[in-house]
Amino acid sequence: MREQLEALKTQALEQLAAADSVDELEKVRVQTLGKKGELTKILRGLGKVSPEERPKIGVLANQIKEAFNQALAEQQALLKKSAMTARLNDEQIDITLPGRTPDVGSIHPVTRALEEMTTIFTHMGFPPATGPEVEDDWYNFGALNIPDDHPAREMHDTFYLPPAHDGGKRLLRTHTSSVQVHFMENRQPPIRMIAPGKVFRCDSDITHTPMFHQVEGILVDEGVDFGQLKGLIETFLVRFFARELPVRFRPSFFPFTEPSAEADMGCIFCDAKGCRICKNTGWIEILGCGMIHPNVLENVQIDTEKYAGFAFGMGVERLAMLKYGINDLRTFFENDIRFLRRHASVGGE
Amino acid sequence: MKFTLQWLKEHIDTDLAANIIGEKLTMAGLELDGLTDLGAGLELVQVGELISVEQHPNADRLTCCKVMVGEEELSIVCGAKNHKTGDKVAVARVGANLPNGLKIKKGKIRNELSEGMLCSLAELGMADSADGIIILPDSAESGAAVAEILGRSGSLFELDLTPNRGDCLGVRGIARELGVLTNKPLKPLAAKVQVSNDSQASIEIKDIQGCPRYGGRIIRGVTIAPSPGWLRDRLESVGLRSINNVVDVTNFILLDLNHPLHAFDLAKISLPLQVRQANAGEVLTTLDEVKRQLSTEMTVIADQTRPLALAGIMGGEDSGVTEVTRDIFLEAAYFNPIRTAHTGRKLAIQSDSRHRFERGVDPMGLELALDRATELILELAGGSAGPNNIVDTGVWQPNAPIPFRPERINQLGGIKLPIAEMETMLLGIGCKKTPAGEFQPPSHRHDLVIEEDLLEEVVRLYGYDRVPSSLPRIEVDVPESNPGVSTARKVRKILTGIGYYETINYAFVSQALQDQFDPGAKTTALLNPISEDQAVMRSTLICGLMESARRNLSQGNLILKLFEVGRVFCSGDNDVLVEEDRVGALLSGNKTNKNWYSKDRQVDFFDIKGDLTALISGLIDKKLLFEPGGPEFLHPGRKALVYTGRERELIGWVGELHPAISETLDPAQPIFIFEIASKHLHTQTDKQSSKKAHETISRYPSVERDFAFLLADTVPAGQFLTAIKGVDSQLIKDVTLFDLYTGQHMQPGEKSLALKVTMQADDRTLTETESQKLSEQIINLAKEKFNATQR
Repeated sequence: MREQLEALKTQALEQLAAADSVDELEKVRVQTLGKKGELTKILRGLGKVSPEERPKIGVLANQIKEAFNQALAEQQALLKKSAMTARLNDEQIDITLPGRTPDVGSIHPVTRALEEMTTIFTHMGFPPATGPEVEDDWYNFGALNIPDDHPAREMHDTFYLPPAHDGGKRLLRTHTSSVQVHFMENRQPPIRMIAPGKVFRCDSDITHTPMFHQVEGILVDEGVDFGQLKGLIETFLVRFFARELPVRFRPSFFPFTEPSAEADMGCIFCDAKGCRICKNTGWIEILGCGMIHPNVLENVQIDTEKYAGFAFGMGVERLAMLKYGINDLRTFFENDIRFLRRHASVGGE
Repeated sequence: MKFTLQWLKEHIDTDLAANIIGEKLTMAGLELDGLTDLGAGLELVQVGELISVEQHPNADRLTCCKVMVGEEELSIVCGAKNHKTGDKVAVARVGANLPNGLKIKKGKIRNELSEGMLCSLAELGMADSADGIIILPDSAESGAAVAEILGRSGSLFELDLTPNRGDCLGVRGIARELGVLTNKPLKPLAAKVQVSNDSQASIEIKDIQGCPRYGGRIIRGVTIAPSPGWLRDRLESVGLRSINNVVDVTNFILLDLNHPLHAFDLAKISLPLQVRQANAGEVLTTLDEVKRQLSTEMTVIADQTRPLALAGIMGGEDSGVTEVTRDIFLEAAYFNPIRTAHTGRKLAIQSDSRHRFERGVDPMGLELALDRATELILELAGGSAGPNNIVDTGVWQPNAPIPFRPERINQLGGIKLPIAEMETMLLGIGCKKTPAGEFQPPSHRHDLVIEEDLLEEVVRLYGYDRVPSSLPRIEVDVPESNPGVSTARKVRKILTGIGYYETINYAFVSQALQDQFDPGAKTTALLNPISEDQAVMRSTLICGLMESARRNLSQGNLILKLFEVGRVFCSGDNDVLVEEDRVGALLSGNKTNKNWYSKDRQVDFFDIKGDLTALISGLIDKKLLFEPGGPEFLHPGRKALVYTGRERELIGWVGELHPAISETLDPAQPIFIFEIASKHLHTQTDKQSSKKAHETISRYPSVERDFAFLLADTVPAGQFLTAIKGVDSQLIKDVTLFDLYTGQHMQPGEKSLALKVTMQADDRTLTETESQKLSEQIINLAKEKFNATQR
């Protein structure tokens, strides 16, 4: 019997080693250790074995079982591993094929610039405000210290609409400065806001579109001074253009500010060395600003002895062109999808 | 405003280089727009003396000349005929790059050496054409620069002045400014006039508002002639044409002293003169030969019979100075800026005079301008001058003295300037300090009225760039929310995320587009449109989106996913114009670009409906309802009105563009669009949104049951699904349509809908009995309400 068992062990282990699938292993297991398996068959003859031999045979049978199970487990693992290897081999793909890219659209570059500006100013404490695009004479001109027949009005080529029912003039706002008036008339200082939006002027050529965008900003408070205006604009420009470029302020004229200034920035195309774009001056005109004219503050019932303010306004297309390297203003409103894709940026803050 | 450095130096001694002067003026608010060299191109043109002129051996029309230029002798072949030995001529040396584009090279002309060119005025860019070469005066020194001799040297400045600085529209005004900036006094300016007759024009000012001060003098016996070289050069250097001595003097004074003058031919007017408002219907032919229809708000200078000149803007054609004029009346005035602007604008006349009067000339400058002009006229045209007769109505009053609070100037300006330094600046610009310590602005500075004006002067003259930059101190607060701005941002976020490109279209469109996409709407037209294509305010975003689509298609961009967030303008009652923010989108072409993993498929109604649903459900938590209907320009069978919530509020529409319109596109392809009013997409207040937010997600298992129903094709699937959901809105969490089948193997007029219904209770595990009961209810409802049978 001992020989039989030893032979079974040798045979079973050989069979296990030869099996090349999980199914075959199972077959060998059933054949060897199953209820009707070889081991059972052999052990049926246990009765013929002498009583003193029996326990030894029992121990031997258990040893064979253990050895078999261990070999089985090893073989199973081996087979699993090679099956996995085969599968992985099979499943190999060409990862250089293009991905199934979902469409991602883009916000308009003007919106992108507006959002970047709005975000910077919002972080500095100037929340965005909006106002009507159709205005009357007061909000667009009168309240901003631009009286009728003032030569400054010639700086604005205004689009007019038929008069309102009460005979009042109606026009498309020529600047977002009108939002100042709406915003201030119901509030008292401290006042801070920026007004991003569309504006309209009756002018159309290679450097003018009859509609464009501006961002206007104001601050009215106690202790406001011109140096703070300078600092704020400088900080903004460094942030917006992500470059440390020189900024200079020179006197200018706007009816709604006094003193008035225009801010120039070192030309970003030539690092302020002088090129065609900056007309060899090294400077590019960026925005207009100044201390809010007392007449404007008085028009919205703000005490000019106690408070002062500053205002600034800039053309969004112009800044977008400088920042994103767009060279033709008119492409903004043609909305060619190739242009929109080239300057792509997704929405959101 | 143009002037030359040489001219400026007539008024102020300065040794600063032109570019430094330009920089100083720019930083003081007089922006330099251009600085050019008048002698550009003439650098290598020198005076030469002809030492011999001989016939060219091989050409009849040419001469071979020997020229001494300084110490050098040159051989030059010349084609002109007006030169002879001994003449002083203008020699362009080899290497010269002349203003007319000609480059001078050494070469042989018909075998004879030529080392330069003898120039004509045309070749030097000083005349359009020329007859022969320039013969210079004998006094010209051989080798000297020709540019200087011809008055073409030095720097030409061009300033871009702001409207408040009318006082700098004359060279003396610029010099005054430079004087303050560089601490240099102006050269004295005085005019000595020998009054030698007593002729005086009587003057009456009837329109005292239009003309606060008016006057002039009679000069008899002038001889009209061409101006001398210096005067011609002055005018031409800044781009003005020389006319004759008297007219040139008035123009010179305008440019020099910023005071427009006018000369009448005394023989053509019948004194006395009147300054009055024009009569209605009066007509005047101005110097530019245009017949002008006058109206009563315009001021004219008139004699006894007719209007002679349009005050401050332009003289009349038939009373001006001509070659035969002998006696003149020389006029100076202070006309009302606003009236001048109004008249100029109404008649659309641009003139140097108008430009200055509407910005305000010096009301006290009449005498000096008249005397200086008279002095020059007597010198250049002869004659005898009568006395000045100036009428002052007293209407113009100097600006009141301005309170001067130096500490306030320092505070607002962000500077720390000693009082004395401020005072020096203000006195420098011509202000006078009153005994009360206030500052009285000079009569030429109409723009100085309030304290802030003094503030600007001080900071400007100190230098904006010297003001230290700081940052405002800001109190922390919570900014007000702006739902319009934040909704627009969220819309952009979602739509770009699902592949749409934002467009920005003009707010004004053509009437035709407007009629097509909002027929019947009352449109608001611009009174002064730029073109027909941009004539009326849009009342829908579709006009612009369609134009953008059309342009893109014509460019071969066939996959279109466009949107716009923008404002439309709708006429309400009483012509009130209502501004409304909307979201519009347009979808067309294939679902995806051609690729290796899926078949091409054109987008359809359900793509845009799905995108719209994604947009809205990303913004607000309200039920959406689509019902057949929508604007006429949509496909009648493929359009829907979109409602929200139980209140059934109409928020917009979605659909396929009517094929009759999409067929006009090139290439023609179906277009899908929607438009929604933004206000319905604003985030709800906490109260509204809290209910749903507080519903908990059930922790108990859910049961899914599939059903397939046969029902009539005419039953809208949406209604069917809603009804099934309504069987038990508590327990039925979701109804998903996973198959729709019509056609083969089906009875005509029938369709099959396959649904997956998810059932779940919030507080317990649903029993088999309960879910079985629900299933039966569903089947019964389908049967009873829709006559649908289970497959």
